[in-house]
Amino acid sequence: MSGPGQTLLERRLVIVTGKGGTGKSSVVATLALAGAQHGLRVAVVEVGLEEQIPGLFDPAAPPVGYPGREIHPGVTALRIDPYAALAEYLGLQIGVRGVVDLVFRNRAFRQLMDATPGWRELITLGKVWHLEQMRRDDGSPTYDLVLVDAPATGHGLTFLDVPRVAVSAVRMGPLRRHSGWVEEMIRDTQRTLLLPVALAEELPARETAELVERVREETGVAIDRVVVNAVAPAPFPSGLDDLDRHLAALPAETPLPGLPGPPVLAACAAHMRARHELNRHHLAEIARDTGLPLLVLPQLPEGVRNVADLARLAGPLLAAPEARAA
Amino acid sequence: MNSLPALVRDRQICVCVGAGGVGKTTVAAALALEAARRGRRTCVITIDPARRLADALGVATLDNQPRRLAGDRQSELGIGDAGGLWAMMLDMKSTFDDLVERFAPDAEARERILHNPIYQHVSDALAGSAEYSAMEKVYELAEGKEFDLIVVDTPPSQHALDFLEAPQRLIEFLDSRLVRMLVHPAFAAGRFGFRVFQRGAQRVLKLIERVSGVGFLEDVSDFLLAIEGMSEGFRERATRVRSLLLGSGSAFVLVSGPQRRSLDDAERFLARLEQTGVPLAGVVVNRVRGWPDGGAPPRQVPDGASRPEAEAALARALAARGGEGFPAEDAARAAVDCVDRYASSVRRDLEVTEPLVEGSRRAGRFAVRVPELAGDVHDLEGLVGVAAHLFPDPDGR
Ligand SMILES: Nc1ncnc2c1ncn2[C@@H]1O[C@H](COP(=O)(O)OP(=O)(O)OP(=O)(O)O)[C@@H](O)[C@H]1O
Ligand SMILES: [Mg+2]
Repeated sequence: MSGPGQTLLERRLVIVTGKGGTGKSSVVATLALAGAQHGLRVAVVEVGLEEQIPGLFDPAAPPVGYPGREIHPGVTALRIDPYAALAEYLGLQIGVRGVVDLVFRNRAFRQLMDATPGWRELITLGKVWHLEQMRRDDGSPTYDLVLVDAPATGHGLTFLDVPRVAVSAVRMGPLRRHSGWVEEMIRDTQRTLLLPVALAEELPARETAELVERVREETGVAIDRVVVNAVAPAPFPSGLDDLDRHLAALPAETPLPGLPGPPVLAACAAHMRARHELNRHHLAEIARDTGLPLLVLPQLPEGVRNVADLARLAGPLLAAPEARAA
Repeated sequence: MNSLPALVRDRQICVCVGAGGVGKTTVAAALALEAARRGRRTCVITIDPARRLADALGVATLDNQPRRLAGDRQSELGIGDAGGLWAMMLDMKSTFDDLVERFAPDAEARERILHNPIYQHVSDALAGSAEYSAMEKVYELAEGKEFDLIVVDTPPSQHALDFLEAPQRLIEFLDSRLVRMLVHPAFAAGRFGFRVFQRGAQRVLKLIERVSGVGFLEDVSDFLLAIEGMSEGFRERATRVRSLLLGSGSAFVLVSGPQRRSLDDAERFLARLEQTGVPLAGVVVNRVRGWPDGGAPPRQVPDGASRPEAEAALARALAARGGEGFPAEDAARAAVDCVDRYASSVRRDLEVTEPLVEGSRRAGRFAVRVPELAGDVHDLEGLVGVAAHLFPDPDGR
């Protein structure tokens, strides 16, 4: 059975998705670190134009590029360049790399490809499939766990939907067959998990709910928990939940050495409390609208910068997800 | 001098650009609301607004038609008879279909396009089509001359400039020689005689065919043949849309937030401004945490006394009010802590947004910070609140 019973590290492929800036790369890097610490061989795949993950392991790391490189013991990172992946694929298909290179130098070919939708996603997922299939000499997988930092544009689903579209748009031939393999991998609920990353804010919460709904309706991709990232801690210790009201009740002219007057203190506290309550509200909304348990990651005051920060997120990310009553 | 009041008074088109998630929709709606209150007939085109905001604006359905806000709501908001507020939610797919309807050379071609399996898969993914649809709608409404001002939100694209480049990308796609080859192989070969190219293109086609099978290329070619006839009308139209948006009646407002990524995006946008000819009027930095009395936050908390001193004084004051058993010392410590944290986040937001704000003013543009509000903005009252920060000076109303 797939479900929260299976930990994130027990999959072969975890595709991390979410709106831009929600923390996808941070989550992927955290999972990679945790996987490596559990003795897994991890491959991390980035898709966008910029490499974000190697820098979290080592700020001075040179780019890993398409061939990829081990960026941390047990963690290999690569950035899929769709053109490089396409050249590799076509080279394998027709056997003669030279012809492919010639074609790729053709400007018209570039123009056409630049404007054509879909193939980047397809070729990227094809490469992911290949990474998942790779084996060592002893027959064991080259990578125990493949993590994909999915692109932020549009909905993560379009990315996953492309193989299905390809299978329906292409009537025959190797492309159809290969798309079929990729689709099979994506829909294998034992092997593959889609992991959405949300924030406890209005738009990310709504988009996450829409994503989950569409995944359920339109694809068979497994999705069993939602990461809610960068959730600020409660502003006051427990038992002092209405601290702002106590501050507001003080006479405005109370002399407080070194501090702003009570009205300003109360306003700061009230603002933090209001934002916190808003966060709780959106958390409950995500839980209710998706019907999924949540993994709540704390907001790190300085952002996510290095391995030490990743280690701080690893605990909550691997914890048993919290089911929340709405 | 550029200013928001001048913008909503004088311009005919206002385009809000910026990275996704910074509140472009909210800012666009608040600008439109204020313009309407200042006596202009204003239409705001929103893209994907939060549902409750859409309801509040009276555009719960995606029908691509401007809807006027109910009369009593308008008067409650202080919109007089001269002005008026319309809102529209853009349905990007249907705008693209409209384009096909308009530019297909004949009814048969139109049907062929709309029913082609490739079109159905690609029309929403075709490079730049969402962005282009938004701009296309602005043009159509501007042509209609029903409004004094059209405020438009832009799609949540990767980068703020995507939408301007969208038509060009579509044209390039329609024009690319390979597309022509697919449509008229013989024509391209005979007429242009691109022999070298032709050899290359033949290779590409063979390659694609080998991988994709025969049927696929037939569908593609059929699709391209069908849209080919559109290309002329489309190009002409795209050129006109572009000159309208870059013309003297338009103003762009760059919306950013204090998050690193949206600031980076704003910087990229500014860096490319010269090349693009975009008439940028100014910058709105949204959701900047602000200090309660509107002044500058203290440099540190406490400032001018030691922490134990400050906490002790606060604890005494709280104890005097809190009554028996109130943990005044804990409360004082928590309060100082909380204010300290808030002050440092306010300083941080001010500091990271300063280069954008300063740079904008130096270049003769306006720059406005809108504070993070206590709640989400999903009704007209919320928009009024945002507008009050965008237009702190109630002149001109
Ligand atoms: N738990 C957290 N606490 C504090 N800051 C965080 C947290 N997670 C992520 N961040 C910060 O948020 C920003 C975005 O994070 P990240 O780069 O992981 O997001 P992303 O979804 O990969 O973004 P993009 O769409 O740009 O690739 C970064 O500055 C990061 O340091
Ligand atoms: Mg990222």
